[in-house]
Amino acid sequence: MAETSGNSSQPGTNRRQFLRDSARVFALTGIGGLLGVIGTRSTAKGYVWQIDPRKCVRCGNCATHCVLEQSAVKCVHSYAMCGYCQLCTGYFEPEPNGLNTGAENCQCPTAAIQRTFVEDPYYEYTIDEDLCIGCAKCVEGCTRFGNGSLYLQVRHDRCVNCNECAISKVCAGDAFVRVPADQPYLLKTTH
Amino acid sequence: MRDNMRDQVNEAMNRREFFGRGAAGAGLALAGTAGLRLGLGKGFAAESAFALDASRLGKTDPKLIRYEEVARFSCPDAAPSRLAIGADQRLYLASSKQVSVLSLTGELLRAIPVSSPARCVALGAEGEIYAGLRDHVEVFSSKGQRVASWESPGPRTWLSGLACGGNDIFAADSGSRTILRYDRTGKLQGRLGRKDAARSVPGLVAPSPYLDVEMGRDGLLRVSNFGRHAVETYTADGDLEMSWGKPSAGIEGFCGCCNPVAITLLPNGKYVTCEKGLPRVKVFSERGEFECVVAGVESFPENARSGAPSRGLDCTLGGLDVAVDAEGLVYVLDLVAENIRVLKEKA
Repeated sequence: MAETSGNSSQPGTNRRQFLRDSARVFALTGIGGLLGVIGTRSTAKGYVWQIDPRKCVRCGNCATHCVLEQSAVKCVHSYAMCGYCQLCTGYFEPEPNGLNTGAENCQCPTAAIQRTFVEDPYYEYTIDEDLCIGCAKCVEGCTRFGNGSLYLQVRHDRCVNCNECAISKVCAGDAFVRVPADQPYLLKTTH
Repeated sequence: MRDNMRDQVNEAMNRREFFGRGAAGAGLALAGTAGLRLGLGKGFAAESAFALDASRLGKTDPKLIRYEEVARFSCPDAAPSRLAIGADQRLYLASSKQVSVLSLTGELLRAIPVSSPARCVALGAEGEIYAGLRDHVEVFSSKGQRVASWESPGPRTWLSGLACGGNDIFAADSGSRTILRYDRTGKLQGRLGRKDAARSVPGLVAPSPYLDVEMGRDGLLRVSNFGRHAVETYTADGDLEMSWGKPSAGIEGFCGCCNPVAITLLPNGKYVTCEKGLPRVKVFSERGEFECVVAGVESFPENARSGAPSRGLDCTLGGLDVAVDAEGLVYVLDLVAENIRVLKEKA
């Protein structure tokens, strides 16, 4: 009888235990889910948009599709790759009248490239980011006929990091990628 | 009752039609969206207000083309870089794993393995083979046995052209922007082409690894000072004798940032030049006057696209090289298509 009462009290304890364990499991699941959501959100904030220069097809969409009035995409210059050419094919029109800074000889639509004499016959080319609109015309000239040292990058002092980047939606080369915010640039250092 | 049934049948058919048309409509809408996206993707580049239109530069006046292709064959090894023709009238091709010895019809006669990619090649008076690797020269017997490996002149060395003349071997070093003058034992005798105002030498300019050198029958050295869009003539001692060439995308000049990337001489002393960016091969007189086109941009479609958006490459990965045999046939090496074209002057 004692065994019987003992057996009958056992299932009551098990039920209580079961309910308690269930409550714990639910609580842990909830906390885990909450942590997961928070974790995912913080990861999303840890990424920014960038252009993979190897995929960029210099389509011109960066200049016209950014939500900012002036695009956050700018031409940048890998000086280590530059030939410091007298006839820079990123700076000059394909058939310039002369190798000078006359507007009719330059292909940048906003005169954003500064040409500075270094020593015969070398010239340094610097991008004025306040003028650059990211149209990639110079990038095309440099890549097609030169060393490919000019290329486009999203500048993160201007980019507002939209969830769905307007340029990425129309990027002809699918060159827009998400990169970690602590390594926000995809720099060209070699061919 | 019949009317009711007819209505029900019509209703059933209408529903079917509705679903059928709905599915067709959805399909069309999907197809339309995909088409629009594709069209925008490809069309935008062409329609962009900022497009660099270089299409007009890719057309050559047919009247200027005085050579025709008579043969074409593939390179036996990947990443070919330079071509030479020896006194034995065989082709010597420098490439990633070997120096290939070919007959003038493209038959592989011998493959001489190299320890690192061969970037240039030249033939000595006794048939010995000089192969320029990135930073040093290796010497092989005519049978392909390695007989010497010369010391590297420095860490910045990037050999891109070789020429032999008398007892001298001249190596074009794009890294140091000079022509290295060696004796036949590999001892460095001097450097040519350094900027020297006292000798009126402007200095070689090499924005990319294409500096080329060629020995003329007159014993004078021809150098492609391609960063200045010029071809220069030097004595073996480094005196500048002559310079010609001008930058221009027009057919009479050298295009892009740096051209010509390869030079050679016809038996009559005229120059044959190769350009990259706009891949074209042209003939100039002994004085540097433009004479005719051997092969225009249209002849090298794959090479011309080397810097195109879809390739993800740039102009430094294209280029051509050229050699001429005793008959005056022009052999053009296409570095992108990895083939050799044989061109003959039209009758």
